[in-house]
Amino acid sequence: MSVSRREFLKTCAVISSVPMVGLAPGVAAAQAPKKGGTLRVGFYIEAATMDPHLSGSKVDRQVYHNIYEPLVTLDAKLGIKPGLAESWTQPDARTLVFKLRRGVKFHDGSDFTAEAAKFNFDRMKTEPKSVRKGEVASIDSVDVVDSHTIKINLKRPDAALLATLTDRAGMMVSPKVVQERGAELQRNAKGAGTGPFEFVEWVKDAHLVIKRNDGYWNRQGGPYLDRVRYRPILDDTVKLQSLQSGEIDVMDYVQPRDVAAVKADKNVVVLDVPSLAAFAYQLNHQKPPFNNKALRQAVAYGLDLEQIVKGVWLNVGVPANGPIPPTSWAYDKSIPYIKRDLAKAKAKLAEGGKPGGFEFTMTTANIPINVQEAEVIQAQLREAGITTKIRLVDAATQLSDGNSRNFEMISYQWSGRPDPDGNIYQFFKTTPGTSLNWSGISNPKLDELLDKTREVSNQAERKKLYSELIRILQDELPMVYTVHPIEPKAFSPRVQGYEPIPDGMMRFKDVWLR
Amino acid sequence: MGRLLAHRLLATIPVLLLVTAGVFALLHLTPGDPIDAMMAESVDATAKEALRRELGLDRPIPVQYAAWMGRLLRGDLGHSIRNGEPVIENVSRRIRPSLELALLAMAISLTVAFPVAIASAIHHNTGVDRLGTTFALFGICMPNFLLALLLIFLFGVTLRWLPISGYVDPLEEGWNGVRSLVLPAVTLGLALAAVVTRTLRSSLLDALAEDYVRTARAKGLAESHVIRRHVLKNALIPVVTVLGLQLGTLIGGAVITEYVFALPGVGRLVVDAVFARDYPLVQGVILLIAVGFIVSNLLVDVLYGWIDPRIRLR
Repeated sequence: MSVSRREFLKTCAVISSVPMVGLAPGVAAAQAPKKGGTLRVGFYIEAATMDPHLSGSKVDRQVYHNIYEPLVTLDAKLGIKPGLAESWTQPDARTLVFKLRRGVKFHDGSDFTAEAAKFNFDRMKTEPKSVRKGEVASIDSVDVVDSHTIKINLKRPDAALLATLTDRAGMMVSPKVVQERGAELQRNAKGAGTGPFEFVEWVKDAHLVIKRNDGYWNRQGGPYLDRVRYRPILDDTVKLQSLQSGEIDVMDYVQPRDVAAVKADKNVVVLDVPSLAAFAYQLNHQKPPFNNKALRQAVAYGLDLEQIVKGVWLNVGVPANGPIPPTSWAYDKSIPYIKRDLAKAKAKLAEGGKPGGFEFTMTTANIPINVQEAEVIQAQLREAGITTKIRLVDAATQLSDGNSRNFEMISYQWSGRPDPDGNIYQFFKTTPGTSLNWSGISNPKLDELLDKTREVSNQAERKKLYSELIRILQDELPMVYTVHPIEPKAFSPRVQGYEPIPDGMMRFKDVWLR
Repeated sequence: MGRLLAHRLLATIPVLLLVTAGVFALLHLTPGDPIDAMMAESVDATAKEALRRELGLDRPIPVQYAAWMGRLLRGDLGHSIRNGEPVIENVSRRIRPSLELALLAMAISLTVAFPVAIASAIHHNTGVDRLGTTFALFGICMPNFLLALLLIFLFGVTLRWLPISGYVDPLEEGWNGVRSLVLPAVTLGLALAAVVTRTLRSSLLDALAEDYVRTARAKGLAESHVIRRHVLKNALIPVVTVLGLQLGTLIGGAVITEYVFALPGVGRLVVDAVFARDYPLVQGVILLIAVGFIVSNLLVDVLYGWIDPRIRLR
């Protein structure tokens, strides 16, 4: 199996234009979906909480997208489509009006209304333990216009807000459940959502079960499955074996090293789901050696991204030209990724005052694929005359080193956000205190462009601004980008009707078992 | 006996103090921060600060230790930072699978080790002995995770006799539960069997060379009687020591096996808590594991006295 970059982009295009009906090759769409069965899903880690306002863990969202619903949802091209909101208008740059869907009930029987929506936004903004505060920071207040209309007043224009509301920040929780058993919601989401499935039980460390919501408002298509049973299986090899032997029907992620073998297995169907992620290294602008722009450029010219993607990622990904992934409408394919050029790298070393090369330390997570990538980078840079020392740390150390700028070059694997804003703004905007801007870059031109991307709401204009940003980033290099990974998911051939969305979340509404 | 126990219990106090202070210091000296780890993708510095203050993580480390100790003396192990639940609840959920796994592994190891060691010792330096020692060497050298994956591949994927991973409680679902524990228990049990085999074989050989064995044989006792009553009983002390130490390790340290088989045990709980820098949880679990070690060693001491009355008198 080998996916060239072109093929990958083609796959993206195919996936985004044709909704998946049957997964298994040869199975025609002729078969009608049928009700029933339990879908068994294997996950890499246990969920952390069932309260979307308090959730800081990616895996939680996999469950949420089946029991809760956001105001708006994503389509396969990352376009925004109606969810719990039927439609929306933007009378001016600081106002967003949502018409909410009528006849929607929470699983506890209470009605979904404008009051309920307002309650949710207020909770996200004021609950002390809310992890959503940053995402809804641009919201000043929410007004109830009538029983099914809300008006969101913004402190500043925020073009990315709509995309943010496709996930946890837009998910509506039953106010009744929060008021009656708020603290318990963390472990028990009975009655709390409006989605196609209802929460049943969560036996920690063992399984989490949801069941079909027969009163679901959307009568088109599913839900078909009786139940979905999630199980954490931490070891990748064991998870794969569980799928191959039929103990589970779905696994959330296949490691690049296993992809070729799994694709050869007739009992497993693999789907390459392009992601929103951008994997990179932050370069510390506030101390030597990388406070020197020429030396940052020397490193970038010393890297061979094609070799990294082929050798380390086994082509389960594409070389990155910057923070925006090919799945995004803002991706500019006319901007090439930085190509390896040893002569240029040497010239940049001389320009930076280090004609004989220099030495630096690279901090990365002690995870096999990260270590492999670090070793390849080390070898590539050696040919450019740059010596790299590799420092391996665990995730918590990596975070604290990054936040305290205790590094020279540090890996940063960002899972990505549906709107390009989430992949760019907080990484490069001048901010006092902690932020994701670990490199410490402070560039007035960048700041100005970044603010503009939030103010302009026209997509074509925003795309132009982002292209301009990517070009500056390729020159200034606060971060060196390596790869946009693909996140392959694997299924039993019985599983039908799964439609991949690049945010990687598995929505099981229209999924059924053959 | 009572005095021995009382003495032993008193001696545990400094041990526990040392363990808790050591763990506390090590944890806080390790780079990383629980709030950062929990809210990795949030840049809301004020929210993080507020949470840090609420949890008392902004206070000096000695003060935090004293506060923790104070709560401990009132029987409160605190709450996990990550999931907000009491530490004791986190542990009690995990202790059952760990205990069941440890006991099953121990049973498997004894069932294998005793016959092999006895056969090896009786047929010292013959083909049987070499077979036994080879088995023991193999068991000691074989890495846990590799044996686990091989067992999964054979019994789970190829033969499909046993479930590959996951935990079902045998006390609730009987046979299904036992089935879910067989592969991990065999993985742990074989390694332990190897250690026990080696220890027992060498102490049996020592005992076989003793004068009282010659006397017993000279009295005309049957060989099986000699082995059971005279040799085995005298050779048991080192084995009990090994088992006592291993029981603690099995409960708190079977991390790799728990990880591979997706078993919710205590070992994984500690490791996950360390990675999340969940200070109260790590503190609490380590303390309980230390108590577990102390109790199992106490049990060993009591067993010594039962096996060898001379120890009781001292």
